[in-house]
Amino acid sequence: MLQLFEFIARNRNFILFVLLEVFGFWLLFNSNNYWSVEYLNTANSANAKVLEVSNSVKEYSNLREVNASLAQENRLLNQQLVQLQQQKPTNAPNGYQPDSDFAARYQWVTIAKVIDNSTHRADNYLTIDKGTLHGVKVGMGVISPTGVVGKVKICNDKFSVITSILHSQFMVSTKLLRSNEIGTSKWERSNDPSVIQLKDISRYKPLVKGDTAVTTDQNAVFPAGLRIGRVKNFKVAPDGAFYDIDLQLSTDFSTLSYVYLVENKLLNKQQSLQEAVNEKKPK
Amino acid sequence: MTPNDLIRSALRWLLYVLLHVLVARHLVLFDHAFCYIYLGAILFLPFELNLTAALLISFMTGAIMDSFDNTLGLHIIASVLVAYLRPILIRYQLAQKISENRLELSLRGIGLPAFLSYVLVLVSIHHFVLLMVEAGSLGMLGFTFLKILGSIIFTTVALTLGQAFSR
Repeated sequence: MLQLFEFIARNRNFILFVLLEVFGFWLLFNSNNYWSVEYLNTANSANAKVLEVSNSVKEYSNLREVNASLAQENRLLNQQLVQLQQQKPTNAPNGYQPDSDFAARYQWVTIAKVIDNSTHRADNYLTIDKGTLHGVKVGMGVISPTGVVGKVKICNDKFSVITSILHSQFMVSTKLLRSNEIGTSKWERSNDPSVIQLKDISRYKPLVKGDTAVTTDQNAVFPAGLRIGRVKNFKVAPDGAFYDIDLQLSTDFSTLSYVYLVENKLLNKQQSLQEAVNEKKPK
Repeated sequence: MTPNDLIRSALRWLLYVLLHVLVARHLVLFDHAFCYIYLGAILFLPFELNLTAALLISFMTGAIMDSFDNTLGLHIIASVLVAYLRPILIRYQLAQKISENRLELSLRGIGLPAFLSYVLVLVSIHHFVLLMVEAGSLGMLGFTFLKILGSIIFTTVALTLGQAFSR
């Protein structure tokens, strides 16, 4: 008996080592044991606290990726939304059934970052970091999360230049939602990059301040219903037949950072048909 | 061992554990190399510490790691083994330095060659046991060996750099 105790005392570390190892293997192979379920897992409050703190730090470094994935999600959601709207236009009579190709003609091609931007010249352009390699083509519509931005003017393989809506030659067919009038928006007074002018609405129609201006169905580049701005004020020249309307732009061009590129896949077919009519006209 | 040494050792242990839980646990290089830097908490325990205490401390360290990885038992097995083999290795490899009386288990204390041979052997044993037990079978043996090799290099480099840049 004494010898046994002596043996244990002499080899206590080895015995402890074996016991701990056996205990470790027992824990590992009985994964449902009381210890691992009750205490030693990531859900216990001390561990969860540590993980929470480390995660809150990590969240900041992940913001860029989170932003990118959200923008990507928005791109797809926007595309689906427009497609659904095109399939079932709210103002169409009952029997109207759009062709499925036609309803799906708008495609959100890509998301781009604005890397250069001017707002105070007479004709303003934006530069984005996507080009033909990413599917960008000349003539595509460019929109931001808050509304219409412009149209692709030129592009190379990596970059594109966009004619901003703040351009003296850029016109957008515009509808006022509440008064249901259609006109043309164009940037004329080049001193204020937050206000655009709306023309061609008859002075005899009732107008409301604060009315929302959106793109119309007659627009080939932009899907219908995109926000442009809201009516800031309007007046009539004494001898004019139309209102001079100022629209407050919904997009703040000075802080624009990400834009979506929209392609109308049927644009060529539509335009070639319309050009054919023009050519047949006697001159 | 003075109280000052004791506090320093405890802080060093805490530092390695936190470093692993907060940072190194998430590091994976080339899908194969993992960094188990918490081994520093066991490897650099004071040499004078008796084996019983070292075994219990490494058991606790392993249990903490397991609780964060939800793999209860896995790190315990490997850590306790390392703690048991540690004095044997010190006796054989660093015998002459021990006779110089004051031995501090650090890069500065024993010099790079001795440090590397000490760390490399124990890290290799630890990773071999840990990753083989984790794999659970002899299938995908090539993948497991690649993981072991990558992790040995990664952990050793991390421990050496950590020692080189600390006081």
